Amino acid sequence: MATAQVESGAAGHGAEPRGKRTEAGEATYLIAIAEALWEEMERDERVYLLGEDIGAYGGAFKVTEGFIERFGPERVMDTPIAEETIVGMAIGSAMEGFRPIAEFQYADFMTSGFDEIVTAAAKYHYRSGVPLPMVLRGPSGGGVRASSFHSSNPEPWFGHAPGLKVICPAFPSDAKGLLKSAVRDDNPCVFLEHKWIYRRIKEVVPEDQAFLVPIGQAKVQREGTDVSIVTYGMMVHLALEAAENLSQKGVSVEVVDLRTVHPLDSGTVLTSVEKTSRALVLYESHRFLGVGRR
Amino acid sequence: MATDVSEKQAEADWRVGLSDDRLRDLLYKLKLCRYFDERIEALYRQGRLPGAIYSGRGQEGTHVGVAYTLRDDDSLFPTHRDLSAQLTKGLDLKRVMAQFWGRIDGFTRGRDGNSHVGDWFGNRTWTPVSHLPLAYPVACGAALAYKRRGEQRVAMAICGEGATSNGRWHEALNVSAVHRLPVVWVVNNNQWAYSTPNPLEFAVPTVAERAVPYGFPGIRVDGADVLDVYRVALQAVDRARAGGGPTLIESVSLRWRGHAGHDPAKYVPKEMLEEYMQHKDPVKRFEELLLSHEVTDAEAVKRIQERVEREFDEGFEFAQASPFPVPSDVTKGLWVEDGYWRSEPSHEGGTG
Repeated sequence: MATAQVESGAAGHGAEPRGKRTEAGEATYLIAIAEALWEEMERDERVYLLGEDIGAYGGAFKVTEGFIERFGPERVMDTPIAEETIVGMAIGSAMEGFRPIAEFQYADFMTSGFDEIVTAAAKYHYRSGVPLPMVLRGPSGGGVRASSFHSSNPEPWFGHAPGLKVICPAFPSDAKGLLKSAVRDDNPCVFLEHKWIYRRIKEVVPEDQAFLVPIGQAKVQREGTDVSIVTYGMMVHLALEAAENLSQKGVSVEVVDLRTVHPLDSGTVLTSVEKTSRALVLYESHRFLGVGRR
Repeated sequence: MATDVSEKQAEADWRVGLSDDRLRDLLYKLKLCRYFDERIEALYRQGRLPGAIYSGRGQEGTHVGVAYTLRDDDSLFPTHRDLSAQLTKGLDLKRVMAQFWGRIDGFTRGRDGNSHVGDWFGNRTWTPVSHLPLAYPVACGAALAYKRRGEQRVAMAICGEGATSNGRWHEALNVSAVHRLPVVWVVNNNQWAYSTPNPLEFAVPTVAERAVPYGFPGIRVDGADVLDVYRVALQAVDRARAGGGPTLIESVSLRWRGHAGHDPAKYVPKEMLEEYMQHKDPVKRFEELLLSHEVTDAEAVKRIQERVEREFDEGFEFAQASPFPVPSDVTKGLWVEDGYWRSEPSHEGGTG
């Protein structure tokens, strides 16, 4: 059970190194995200990182450990603690042809840049026709004994701001493929990593640099016939565990992983529900007006 | 002999290096912005203009003076009060007026109205966001791009003195200094933030001095004198272009009209308003300056006025003839890939 096994250090603050792939090619979610950033920075000179303590320190969770040595301080840019200006700089440099990726130490701190995100970035292309190719990424979610200011799930807030793509992957491969797609996307993308998954979930992750996962496509992670669980992020892992337990009691559960919260892939959801006739919507954020509650 | 040299120097100095043609062009810009502001308000009061208006009247010395220093590829990040700066940068008056009437040929294709207008692709100007000063951090990003690519370009941002109370203003100034960005910060101190006077916005004597603790110069200038504003702004732009980092310019004037069209601005003392309108009118003052130096004459000024009025009328006719956007397009352009903004808007409706 997920909540029963919180390892020491799992809350992050990243004292430990990011780690490496296993010889079998398995990578954690954390490593997969770092690989996505690294490959996109190698591929495209316009891509750069900005955020707090991402340079010499390597980021709060060590996602960018070693990046400054390879790409230098201009492309791995440490900023003052000024989230509105971090987002504003991403907007302005995107307008001038760069493809910025801003890191927030925790997704909770996106609220300190909220106005630039939802007022400026989200609406700008709709009003002006100017594309804003930018990614705002940060660790969201609970389950790691962090505080009430380090455990938020802000995806409903950003899902309510038309013009933002909101991505919440549950698996290392999806995280890598979706982050690479977000960097190549011409719209502002909010990429919400889940800190509980960072070092817990590992799998064989494609090393092909052309590997991408399309934004806006859900995936059936487990097929079933009796009931559909529609979920995303860390809850996918809870749902899979429940599905396994229920299978021993003769209940066949289908798990639909949204992967992208906005735009929502309602086609995959409806296909699943048409098959099972029953749906359970599961998410970690506040229940009222959350994703899937209309 | 020495006297001749200093007289020539004085003659050269008053015009800040601007040729007669450029000085006359500056007068044209000032008169265009003044006339536009007056006529737009008249149409608003007649109920012939939808939405809101945000007059910049009395502040043309600031707007025209700072924007006149920019090259075509420099960027400008204004507020909704700074349309005169955008017109100075070169926005097409016809399309600006189509914007005011919510038409498809407006720069936002009817999605936004009045001075929430920008022309990034044509003139490198930001489409203002009402939350101020949200464009200040964004200007840092544009300036960062120029610096990273080694381009000799400058980003200029404008806000009112009210917006200097906001955290984003301070964040942006600080970051611009830390990364020595090629940016010029302009504060249009028109003395009233909606109804709030300077002493209720900040406890220091001037906005300009706030630059010093952030690590760069701040200069206060009289917004009634467009050439003084231009001189100070040009120094700041040159400094930024040469890699010297940011400068803060506080240009002081008075907002002659209310915050927006609905506001009679009764909180502004009558004597203060009269003082500024009679003795600190930037348009009248510059016109008299050019006349006294015989750069222009009464006949030429009359021709400028006729040109300005003709251009306004042509813009008005263009706006009335431009179609409204079609309702079925309302969600288009949310995502870049739907192609709405890559196609020219069709005058038969839709975006082809």
